[in-house]
Amino acid sequence: MTKSRRSPSQSTTSLKPEIPPVGVTVITGYLGAGKSTLVNYILSGQHGKRIAVILNEFGEEIGVERAMINEGEGGALVEEWVELANGCICCTVKHSLVQALEQLVQRKERLDHILLETTGLANPAPLASVLWLDDQLEAAVTLDSIITVVDAKNLRYQLKSHNDSSSFPEAYYQIAFADVVILNKVDLVSSDDSGASIEDLEKEIHNINSLTSIIRSVRCQVDLSNILNCRAYDATHATHLEALLEENKKLSTRDLHDSSVRTLCICEQKKVDLDKVRTWIEEILWDKKYGMDVYRCKGVLSVVNSDQLHTLQAVRELYEIVPTREWKDGENRINKIVFIGGSLKEEFLIDSLRACTL
Amino acid sequence: MAGGSDAVEATTLSCAKCGKPAHLQCPKCVELKLPREGAAFCTQDCFKASWSSHKSVHSKSISSSALVNPGEQNTASPNDGWLYCLRKGQSLSPKLPHFEWTGPLRPYPISHRRPIPAQIDKPDWALDGIPKIEPNSDLQHHVEIKAPDQIEKMRETCRIAREVLDAAARVIRPGITTDEIDAVVHEATISAGGYPSPLNYHFFPKSCCTSVNEVICHGIPDARKLEDGDIVNVDVTVYYKGVHGDLNETFFVGNVDEASQRLVQCTYECLETAIAVVKPGVRFREIGEIINRHASMSGLSVVKSYCGHGIGELFHCAPKNIPHYARNKAVGVMKAGQTFTIEPMINAGVWRDRMWPDGWTAVTADGKRSAQFEHTLLVTDTGVEVLTARLPTSPNVFPLVKSLIVVLHC
Repeated sequence: MTKSRRSPSQSTTSLKPEIPPVGVTVITGYLGAGKSTLVNYILSGQHGKRIAVILNEFGEEIGVERAMINEGEGGALVEEWVELANGCICCTVKHSLVQALEQLVQRKERLDHILLETTGLANPAPLASVLWLDDQLEAAVTLDSIITVVDAKNLRYQLKSHNDSSSFPEAYYQIAFADVVILNKVDLVSSDDSGASIEDLEKEIHNINSLTSIIRSVRCQVDLSNILNCRAYDATHATHLEALLEENKKLSTRDLHDSSVRTLCICEQKKVDLDKVRTWIEEILWDKKYGMDVYRCKGVLSVVNSDQLHTLQAVRELYEIVPTREWKDGENRINKIVFIGGSLKEEFLIDSLRACTL
Repeated sequence: MAGGSDAVEATTLSCAKCGKPAHLQCPKCVELKLPREGAAFCTQDCFKASWSSHKSVHSKSISSSALVNPGEQNTASPNDGWLYCLRKGQSLSPKLPHFEWTGPLRPYPISHRRPIPAQIDKPDWALDGIPKIEPNSDLQHHVEIKAPDQIEKMRETCRIAREVLDAAARVIRPGITTDEIDAVVHEATISAGGYPSPLNYHFFPKSCCTSVNEVICHGIPDARKLEDGDIVNVDVTVYYKGVHGDLNETFFVGNVDEASQRLVQCTYECLETAIAVVKPGVRFREIGEIINRHASMSGLSVVKSYCGHGIGELFHCAPKNIPHYARNKAVGVMKAGQTFTIEPMINAGVWRDRMWPDGWTAVTADGKRSAQFEHTLLVTDTGVEVLTARLPTSPNVFPLVKSLIVVLHC
């Protein structure tokens, strides 16, 4: 019997115009940080967008998720059930999630975006892996970004707790994997508090993940254009990765403890051999070489025998290297790779990347 | 999908949990057309709180509708009590379901469930249709390096699976129904002391998959007679001594047109060329590159929704996805001692698939034909061992397929 991983859309006639895939945003964060506030704000806002919010209320067992859909103009709210298939052939329920999202997209006349609100999900990585589909599948949905809602008032406490335990508290994972952090409840933090100012909190967040953008908010009232259509996993939309090329600010963060979760940026001027780079990144991601625990990786590559700028993107063990565009005349062709994770070893990474040059 | 919060109930229902007026309906009850009383709740919280006891209402309904007693059937039914499969095997219907069929093929009614002798060792889904060990196993997260005794079991089980498929191959001819093929597979499997793994796997109603013409995979054996000119794939998996062995082949029925011959030939070559690269250190990702290259060269397309998989104690395990298409993100490299399948499905027309109302049968979106071949493989220190390879006793059913050889690396 064949293993199913089906997800492509099922248009029957070739006359149907190709619609671009609908972006899916994963919203994570501690309970009480304001995820529900964000969801309600998006659902009730008069922004003219048709957005479906999938509320992961029941977990995997029940096989249905409640979806609330904002019908756009008029802002009417429609409640729907999204049923997950009764267990894919050998797949976990998470995979049937993609099928269910695609069916939702097909049923609705026009959906602009899907938000996946994850109550109590400690680590968004498995969900990201399920949603980051191969382009070849031409799926009706695509992973747009991971957004973490952080409670400004409680962040310090959440990061410090379990400092002596062997695993990191959820907050580290949620920030490490975030493409956007919404720093919420900033009104509850003032600079005369003994403790953190907003700037301090932003620095703490960037210490973990210096690539994420941070949006300050009160009651999660954010400009939707800042959090939708990020296309953070779209290899063809690499403008945010290209910002790496211009970045003068040091992206590496200070290593507070040897094992702590932080960001490391390495550079290499000489062109790299693509096959060697593949083996190199696989040893790091798949074999956990030198005991490093990489959560995210993003980079631009200057490849031997190619006029194309290549981009590298990785979430846990999933990675891809894709030619993105031609290097412009006069552009500084450089390799620049950012790692976010624990127990990162700078010297090893620099040396082993150098070994990939010819 | 029924929600319910926007509808005003004509009669007030009471919450099944707390008795307060209820306006929300359990969506599963609505789908199963169960009585609204007992399916209504006042809030999500009450629904959640009573879920563990409430859900038994669903499984009672499902099991009572799936078992059909011929004596109780509508005597006007022309099919001897055979019914059409719906909802993956969880329910049956006397009427052909409505669907925008993509090609000429239609489902036919299916026969009753075949019994399994008590003494045969069964996987956990044999009982209630739901695998429990498999989805929660650690073997979903890392690829097992099998010990020698485990490998020996795999060899034995895969050999039995091969013999079962060969038995099916011998009966293929115009006029035989796919149900009769299933009977042969079922009998051959239990005679060998094995369990036909597909049976009741997520409610699959039969002991093998029979995929005719435009069916890509997971066709359900039914009352349709094979016709001269058809191609049919038979997919067999046997569970024996605690391990599974999985293989499939596409057969010709009578005289088959040239295009179908080329399709079947190319598909087999895709599998052959993919197997030829298997050895320690090769990326799983590479399989898709090779198959895609070979199919494209012949102007054929590769099905993307279904893939190869790890196999052993579990029917499907890590590596969970071995795609057959190019530019995929499959994780990992092959290591000696790993066992997995490669099972390309190649289409004469477009690559896209659609699913029939039975919830299993995958068909090509354009109704053109599809072929498939599959082997269970073991990575050895220097190459690969094809555990489900043809035997000297295997029937010669491919007079027109040029290079049907047993692929072995030393």
